[in-house]
Amino acid sequence: MKGKGASLAETTQSFLVENPIFEIRQLSVWYKAQQVLKDVTMDIPEKQVTAIIGPSGCGKSTFLRSLNRMNDLIPGMRAEGQVFFRGLNIYARSVDPVEVRRRIGMVFQVPNPFPKSIFENVAFGLRINGFNGDLKAKVQWALERAALWDEVKHCLHKSAFELSGGQQQRLCIARALAVEPEVLLMDEPCSALDPIATAKIEDLIHELKREVTIVIVTHNMQQAARISDYTAFMFLGEVLEFAPTGLLFTKPKDPKTEAYLAGRFG
Amino acid sequence: MRRSWRKGLGNAFGVLATSGLLLALLALGTMIATTALQAGKLTAMDAMAQAGLALSLRSVDLPGLGFLSYVVAAQVDANSAAAQVGLSQGDVIVAVGGRPVGRPNEVWGAVKARGEGPATIAWIPKPEKLWGRLQAVARPERAGEFCVTLTSIPAGSKAQEAGLQPGDVLISVGDLPVTGTRQAWEAVVAAVRSGLEEVPLEIEREGKRLKLSLHPVQRTEIPFQLDFFGAWWRFLTRIGDPRYPERTGLLSALVGSLLVVGVMALFVFPLGVGAAVYLEEYAPKNWFTEAVQILIANLAGMPSAVVGIFGLEIFARSWGLGRSVFAGGLTLALLILPQTIIATREALRAVPRWVREAAASLGATPWQVVRFHVLPYALPGIFTGFILALARALGEAAPLLLLGAFLYVTFVPKSLMDSFTIVPLQIFDWATKPQDGFSCVAAAAIIVLIITHLALNSLAIFLRNRYQRRWT
Repeated sequence: MKGKGASLAETTQSFLVENPIFEIRQLSVWYKAQQVLKDVTMDIPEKQVTAIIGPSGCGKSTFLRSLNRMNDLIPGMRAEGQVFFRGLNIYARSVDPVEVRRRIGMVFQVPNPFPKSIFENVAFGLRINGFNGDLKAKVQWALERAALWDEVKHCLHKSAFELSGGQQQRLCIARALAVEPEVLLMDEPCSALDPIATAKIEDLIHELKREVTIVIVTHNMQQAARISDYTAFMFLGEVLEFAPTGLLFTKPKDPKTEAYLAGRFG
Repeated sequence: MRRSWRKGLGNAFGVLATSGLLLALLALGTMIATTALQAGKLTAMDAMAQAGLALSLRSVDLPGLGFLSYVVAAQVDANSAAAQVGLSQGDVIVAVGGRPVGRPNEVWGAVKARGEGPATIAWIPKPEKLWGRLQAVARPERAGEFCVTLTSIPAGSKAQEAGLQPGDVLISVGDLPVTGTRQAWEAVVAAVRSGLEEVPLEIEREGKRLKLSLHPVQRTEIPFQLDFFGAWWRFLTRIGDPRYPERTGLLSALVGSLLVVGVMALFVFPLGVGAAVYLEEYAPKNWFTEAVQILIANLAGMPSAVVGIFGLEIFARSWGLGRSVFAGGLTLALLILPQTIIATREALRAVPRWVREAAASLGATPWQVVRFHVLPYALPGIFTGFILALARALGEAAPLLLLGAFLYVTFVPKSLMDSFTIVPLQIFDWATKPQDGFSCVAAAAIIVLIITHLALNSLAIFLRNRYQRRWT
């Protein structure tokens, strides 16, 4: 039996995280009557890349979106349990989800720039957050961090829709980075991109993890192996196994994890 | 087998749709053509009015001649072209440019056919000018009988030319026995209208019967200016004299329509867009909002006459606003608001959800998401819907008719509490008048309405094509 504030010893996490940025405790999420997440308990380490893998429909995206309360925007979604972000439960009544999203950025599956100029896409987050420094310098800074500056510096006022898919996705990363979030949640950011654009985003993730904690959902096991430090395997709404990436891929403890990694289902 | 059956059904629907479209085009074409044909007389009517003449239909029913109609100059402006050639109020116009005319429509038709430049007008002077004042005098020899006697013959008059003298007794005019002073003159008109140039008179002078002949018709040239744009301009910019179609104008109705629709827009736009944004972006999905949505959909389909009754009872009576522009605007607002809410919600719904998610993920509050993203992207669609609603409001007559708006007013409304009329009601008023010429000004006003509608709809299509976002 798990009571409130169950200890990690009783969960599927096989290791102790020293500096967790997220401490997730018994998080359950329902969509209308259907339970999508079941009692997820895990710690996510700071300034590391944590990958969430698992077959389609296992609740990866729902889990990711519950870390910055994006699920609140979907009518019929309901969460129970706690998610401590730097020790603060973001599901507490006193917490404003808008404030949570300001500190925890997100990149979506399909590149979704605003139908505005490249510059305006990056500047929007700064404007609504009351940024009063040098807007141009900050936009340049964000685009440089997203490794897009050199490609767009001459056409900042072109519509974002004129960029290629890979460029659009990096623009979305720059847009998220501009407001200096502490965490970047990435929901299958490469699934709509070609291999070259994917490689660029993966390089970018390597660069970014020095400053930002990254949680990435991916459908692609090789990608998880390449870029992540820790990997969680999810199955039917549960985290079956959470371990350092090397360990999970070489010595999976759960037979289901092993079967999934071996490609027996997916 | 089954496939071909389906294909046949598809073809049938195709044929139905095509023929429906053709019918609609045909109907529209016929409508515009007949209206334009009717309104075509406007130029001729204006030329007549510019020459200083307002016409009116009279008729006479004489034994032996039957029913005859004739055109009388109902008003002649001082110093006008008509006044300068000697026409005055009461004179009868019998031919224009050689064409005999019996009613105002025929006068305008003749002027139109005559074209630019001077036209010869044939007219019979009114009795005072034709033969002075007639007097009914008792016959001393036969008790109870009267005779019609000339008293003074105006110098230079047609009667003088015919050799009539004061004291002559009129026995018969054009073979009709004279029975009254007015009837004698009408007999002259009737004789001319039935084609006589020379009217035989029988008189009694100093106990002797004499036969004379009267040439009552005068011919003068009036320069008519057929000015198409001027005619329309004057029609649109004057209040005019509502008694005569050639002098009436649309200004009061145009201003009334603009004011009423303006008041309506001031209420509907913020309320409609606000309600739609609330329902689409904020409202929780529960039975209450469901009920509100069903209500709005029902209101959008409510007969406009019902809305008019509501406006009369609530705005005009309970709130004491009377038949004012303000009450009219509120009534129309009630009719248009549901439609605007529905159109705005459609436009908001066309903004994909990922836009809202992308903005929210950057820490935008719900209001910031709406203010900086959803609303700006939906605005072209919102405007398109709103312009179409405006066009509908401009053409609505029923609600304001029930509110008690006037059919015509002789002033331009200056404040929101003034009485008013609107273009559709003005059309209704003119279309139901029996006098010649009003059907023509009604048609002209309908053309104004059609052009306004086409312009507004084109603007809506232009806005949609130019500014609508494609989400790729």
